[in-house]
Amino acid sequence: MSIVAVAALPHTPQLLVRPETEDRDLVLRVHTAYGEIKQNLAAARPDVICIIGGDHVEGFFLTSVPALAVYVGATVSGKFDRYRYTFEVHEPLARALLEQGIEGGFDLTYSQDLALDYAFYVPLHFAMPSRSVPIVPLYVNVYLPPQPTPARCYAWGQALRAMLDARPERVALLASGGLSHFPGSDRYASPDYDWDRQMLDRLVAGRGRETATLTGEELDKAGNVEFRTWITLLGAVGDAKARVVCYEPSWHHGNAVVTWPVA
Amino acid sequence: MSLHYTFPPAAGYPLNRCLYRLKSDDAFRERYLADPEATLEEAGLDPERIAALRALDRDRLIALGAHAYLVFMAALRLKMATASQTFERF
Repeated sequence: MSIVAVAALPHTPQLLVRPETEDRDLVLRVHTAYGEIKQNLAAARPDVICIIGGDHVEGFFLTSVPALAVYVGATVSGKFDRYRYTFEVHEPLARALLEQGIEGGFDLTYSQDLALDYAFYVPLHFAMPSRSVPIVPLYVNVYLPPQPTPARCYAWGQALRAMLDARPERVALLASGGLSHFPGSDRYASPDYDWDRQMLDRLVAGRGRETATLTGEELDKAGNVEFRTWITLLGAVGDAKARVVCYEPSWHHGNAVVTWPVA
Repeated sequence: MSLHYTFPPAAGYPLNRCLYRLKSDDAFRERYLADPEATLEEAGLDPERIAALRALDRDRLIALGAHAYLVFMAALRLKMATASQTFERF
């Protein structure tokens, strides 16, 4: 077996804590889209969820900033205010991806003790099947320059696909991030939704491979530094045609939930 | 147009470490709320950075080496910590 489900999901914490700044109906529509992914995952019966996320300077601080990392602890925990999460980690798969990734020329960092970032637990809060599945957190540096190039992210995704195809587990592959938003920037209230829509059109048309030629500068200017997690996922699915479950641009965030068929 | 997320200069490290702890370290955030001046002095910030952080002056903080995302989330977590009632509105 190999990959049994593929999706990209947003993780903005406002979807979790629902402050008065947010449009209630929009948030609930995104929750409904998450619910569809949860159903897909339950139906796909994965043994493990590999989730590609960008740390928001939570697990990794300036003490060490890995470009690409694999979490290989027994469990992983994170918290946001009163929300607390602990997930079992699929250690055999995490270790295999780490070891084979290194053998394959990716100089991966690994950790057995990290505070889990909301990029991971917000999507899992909403999309984890009722019968909880162990996870493998896969880190791509998105916020602390210099970040890995889109080409490198895509290549890592291709390598992930090759490794996963050779595994016995049923794997759900998720990417967490985006789309356009500018937290902390003077553009916070004016994301680049045109960029998002054009990108979603490309993905629906099955042109995912083109994302490998994006530049880091373009991603930053479009409020899409986190798109690196999607590019990594696209390396694994190639030119499969995406289906947009929802695209809900709020006053500050392009919330996109997207799936790809399992080839 | 310059980039939104830029390399954090080494001179800004103590400031970024304070922002990181305000974001992610509940005990540090509580200590800061109880005695901001002393907490930031202990953390090695100079008066200029202390003033900018206490005012949550984003542009000034970024000019002093702060990472934009850390400013954003430190400010949000402080707001959540001092909200008069639960943050959830629906």
